[in-house]
Amino acid sequence: MTTPVLEVRNLVTHFRSVERGKTIKAVDGVSLHLNAGEIVGLIGESGCGKSTLSRSIVGLATPNSGQIVLDGTDLSTLRGSALRRTRSAIQYVFQDPYSSLNNRQTIGEALEEALVIAGLPAERRGARTTELLDHVGLPAAIAPRYGRELSGGQRQRVAIARALAMNPRVLIADEPVSALDLSVRAQVMNLFFDLSRNLGVACLLVAHDLALVRQAASRNYVMYLGKIVEEGASTQLYGDPRHPYSRALLASAPSPDPVAERARPRVPLTGELPSPTNPPSGCRFRTRCPVAQAACTATLPPPVEVATGHRAACLFEGA
Amino acid sequence: MTVFLNSARPLRVSPGLALWIVAGFLFLGLFGPWLVPHDPLKQNLLAAGQGPGLVHWLGTDHLGRDTFSRLIAAANTSLVGITLVLGIALIIGIGLGTLAGYRRGWTEEAIMRVTDVGLAMPSLIIALAMIGIFGTGYWNMVIALALAWWPSFCRVSRAVVVGVMNKPHIEALRVMGASPLRIFFVHLLPTTTGSVLVYATADAGGLALSIATLSFLGLGIQPPTPEWGQMLVDSLPYLEGDPRQVILPGLALTLVVVAFNFLGEAIALNRVPRPLGRRLLARRRAEAAAWDRPPRGLVTGEKA
Amino acid sequence: MNAVYDIRDLTVDLYTRSAAVRVVDGVSLSVAAGECLAIVGESGSGKTVMSFAPIGLMPEGVSVGLSGGAQLAGADLIGGDEAALARLRGREVAVIFQDPMTALNPARRIGSQIAEVCTLHLGLKGAAAEARALELMRLVGISDPEARLRQYPHELSGGLCQRVVIAMAIAAEPKLLIADEPTTALDVTVQAQILDLLRDLRARMGMAMILITHDIGVVANAADRVAVMYAGRLAEVGPVDQVLRAPTHPYTRALIDAIPRPEDPVGSPFRGLPGMPPQLAGPIGGCAFAPRCPRATPGCATLRPPMRAVAGTPGWQAACHHLTLAVIPKGAAA
Ligand SMILES: Nc1ncnc2c1ncn2[C@@H]1O[C@H](COP(=O)(O)OP(=O)(O)O)[C@@H](O)[C@H]1O
Ligand SMILES: Nc1ncnc2c1ncn2[C@@H]1O[C@H](COP(=O)(O)OP(=O)(O)O)[C@@H](O)[C@H]1O
Ligand code: SF4
Ligand code: SF4
Ligand SMILES: [Mg+2]
Ligand SMILES: [Mg+2]
Repeated sequence: MTTPVLEVRNLVTHFRSVERGKTIKAVDGVSLHLNAGEIVGLIGESGCGKSTLSRSIVGLATPNSGQIVLDGTDLSTLRGSALRRTRSAIQYVFQDPYSSLNNRQTIGEALEEALVIAGLPAERRGARTTELLDHVGLPAAIAPRYGRELSGGQRQRVAIARALAMNPRVLIADEPVSALDLSVRAQVMNLFFDLSRNLGVACLLVAHDLALVRQAASRNYVMYLGKIVEEGASTQLYGDPRHPYSRALLASAPSPDPVAERARPRVPLTGELPSPTNPPSGCRFRTRCPVAQAACTATLPPPVEVATGHRAACLFEGA
Repeated sequence: MTVFLNSARPLRVSPGLALWIVAGFLFLGLFGPWLVPHDPLKQNLLAAGQGPGLVHWLGTDHLGRDTFSRLIAAANTSLVGITLVLGIALIIGIGLGTLAGYRRGWTEEAIMRVTDVGLAMPSLIIALAMIGIFGTGYWNMVIALALAWWPSFCRVSRAVVVGVMNKPHIEALRVMGASPLRIFFVHLLPTTTGSVLVYATADAGGLALSIATLSFLGLGIQPPTPEWGQMLVDSLPYLEGDPRQVILPGLALTLVVVAFNFLGEAIALNRVPRPLGRRLLARRRAEAAAWDRPPRGLVTGEKA
Repeated sequence: MNAVYDIRDLTVDLYTRSAAVRVVDGVSLSVAAGECLAIVGESGSGKTVMSFAPIGLMPEGVSVGLSGGAQLAGADLIGGDEAALARLRGREVAVIFQDPMTALNPARRIGSQIAEVCTLHLGLKGAAAEARALELMRLVGISDPEARLRQYPHELSGGLCQRVVIAMAIAAEPKLLIADEPTTALDVTVQAQILDLLRDLRARMGMAMILITHDIGVVANAADRVAVMYAGRLAEVGPVDQVLRAPTHPYTRALIDAIPRPEDPVGSPFRGLPGMPPQLAGPIGGCAFAPRCPRATPGCATLRPPMRAVAGTPGWQAACHHLTLAVIPKGAAA
């Protein structure tokens, strides 16, 4: 078995709530790994902690405990500039392409700055900028323009080019195409394929569009209220979801074909995500689970391997 | 000061007019020393207390100094004072405020405590207290006023930085491993400076007023340097005989204070989109109307 | 046909500081009572402006030139006086926006906000308004409504807030509800609940609905008919079963083709549209889609295609010169 590029072990990130003395358990003991050149999906309802998990990995949120191991190096053992340098191999793509570029900088300046931070000597920066733009399918002529003059899709590609300037091993993309129109999503999504296949970058693709993740990712994690409830290859997860939450989530996505849509069985997932300040005891999904039983109140279900590489955290997995 | 400005509000100076007044003030302030028709300091007791005439356009004061020249020279005094105070206060305020917003934690706590204390007290009181400690004198006044003014800039800077710190473009720099110094100097400082300068414009009027007030109290600009507040106090004993000597500096001061205030307000409001003016609207309408004339039937075919 | 809302040859020009822009160009549409018409198209294609300008809700900060006709329940909307239009809003036509938080006052309790709408549109006072507020909250499926009445918007989730906004919108039993991306900010799980609610209310109150969205799944789920917009013009309009399963307009086809399908292999490239929508300015000479259209012929760039009926299905129209070439076998998109 290959050793993963990135391994997250038992990560916990809590926030202090505005209510005194309460904590928001946004990420509560999550473990996952990414292999080189692999696109991995992370799905779940909003508020389940996907962004907090992603932000904790890149250092924008501070985890309370747990380890982030990059190429065998535990990041918690590093400090200061050594940490910054090592961690820059993990890059992040933001959801909103409109605010992720500085409006005062041209595209060329933004990329140039990234290359300065990456420590590239001045004489090689110009050529590298052109190369980066070419990588994301943009003409070099775009360099003197400001971000606000570009479309959302173009801006998102610039943001990816900037991330590539750091020669990343891992790219974490938090809803990278949610703000884009359907017609331009393909350009950005295909770029992720290109990066993972040709540059060997491992991508964590956070998204709520399940059809999109299914096609893009080879493996997936399903998150619910701060915990991973199921993981598996796309063929396993989307073909045979084993956790009741995954089933409900997959069943609630409408089909674009009206005939199929009318025939779609409704799995009623009632209510909404409970508050992460005070998660339900035992299985966190029990308040909305259609097949919950008494035992679910008492025990936190451990992940159970249902097939090779396919794990579900439900006491009655397959029920 | 606020009372003064609130009562001035009904004047409703238009932004255009405010801009002209401020421009005039800056022009006179910068070039006044070369423009004055007479030496503003030269006394001529023989010509004391004259009314407006061909030689002394606005008359002379009780020492026979040319009032017009003194008013212009006072603009220079005021402008230099404002610039010095703002310069020092902006450096302190933006520096500390940006630092507080960037570091958060105890740094922020400490800086903002001091700032809050500063903001809780009227600026003039702080300045008076400082002068009480340092004693009077030009530089003491400048420093006292700067110490009284920085907290508001500090608060604004901090707010801007806190707002911008969790914007993705700054977070992206953190993810790239940019050094804190780069983020602070290259990205945060320019952002805060831009926003704070807008506030500073509105504050310049208040500062002009404070300089005049301190001078009026004999704690600021010392005679014989011409200064509006000082001119006021100088001619107060002659109020009944020659009210012009009191009214003119008062008027100049009021205009400048109100104009700066409205200009600052106008700049702040400028960010809100306004509907088009009548002329521009007519032009746009004409443009649109031209689309629907002949070419339409020829090129675009029928409509459904 | 008993159209509740009927717009004829609607053209909307926006006059901005830098230019005059035609953002809606000769659109005709109608919605019948109890019917849901979805409007889809890329962002900037004019969906919002087209739906809201006739009822007097104009984009902010620009001047608007409006021409064409629009009728709501037989009453003319364009050229009428502003006060009459304001009276219609809320009573005859209600609107829901993408972000429920912008429609709610953060500083006031949910109950008093709903009651206020009841007072405004129904003339109910005091206890009667509160009783109606409670009834409305039950109607939109809010559990434990008595307790919720006393809560503030920030204490509720996005989905619950959207339900509150819907409750306020239907307070006066409007004839038409215009919902602009009502579920875009919500999760699929909550989205399904809100769409079910809207369908249920529509059936119960015989309300017509315009549903603006860019999610074809939402269209398939909720709409009876769909209008596809491109660059301020209608590309295609017709019953969802026909338009989504056998699109005749090249743009509709490309749009539907771009949706990832369950049978696409994992790891296979995504399909998109080449190029970008045109930068809007004056009216476009020929077909707006010509620069991106795989079927374009030289004539397309100079002659604007009119809306033409697609043979066989009443109410199915498309604006393309080469419609006859566009015969797609039934079920091909399934
Ligand atoms: N900076 C923060 N401070 C306090 N609570 C937060 C913060 N960021 C996220 N949360 C909370 O943590 C939970 C998870 O949020 P998030 O990670 O954004 O979820 P997702 O990305 O899956 O939508 C939510 O309940 C959210 O309100
Ligand atoms: N307030 C505004 N100022 C200037 N242009 C606007 C404004 N609102 C909308 N537009 C322009 O009108 C066009 C249509 O916008 P809109 O109806 O909001 O599109 P959609 O809802 O389909 O995304 C766009 O090209 C947009 O740029
Ligand atoms: S453990 Fe129980 S509550 Fe949790 S998912 Fe399984 S059946 Fe449902
Ligand atoms: S009219 Fe021509 S360019 Fe337009 S959609 Fe039809 S074939 Fe394409
Ligand atoms: Mg998120
Ligand atoms: Mg819109």
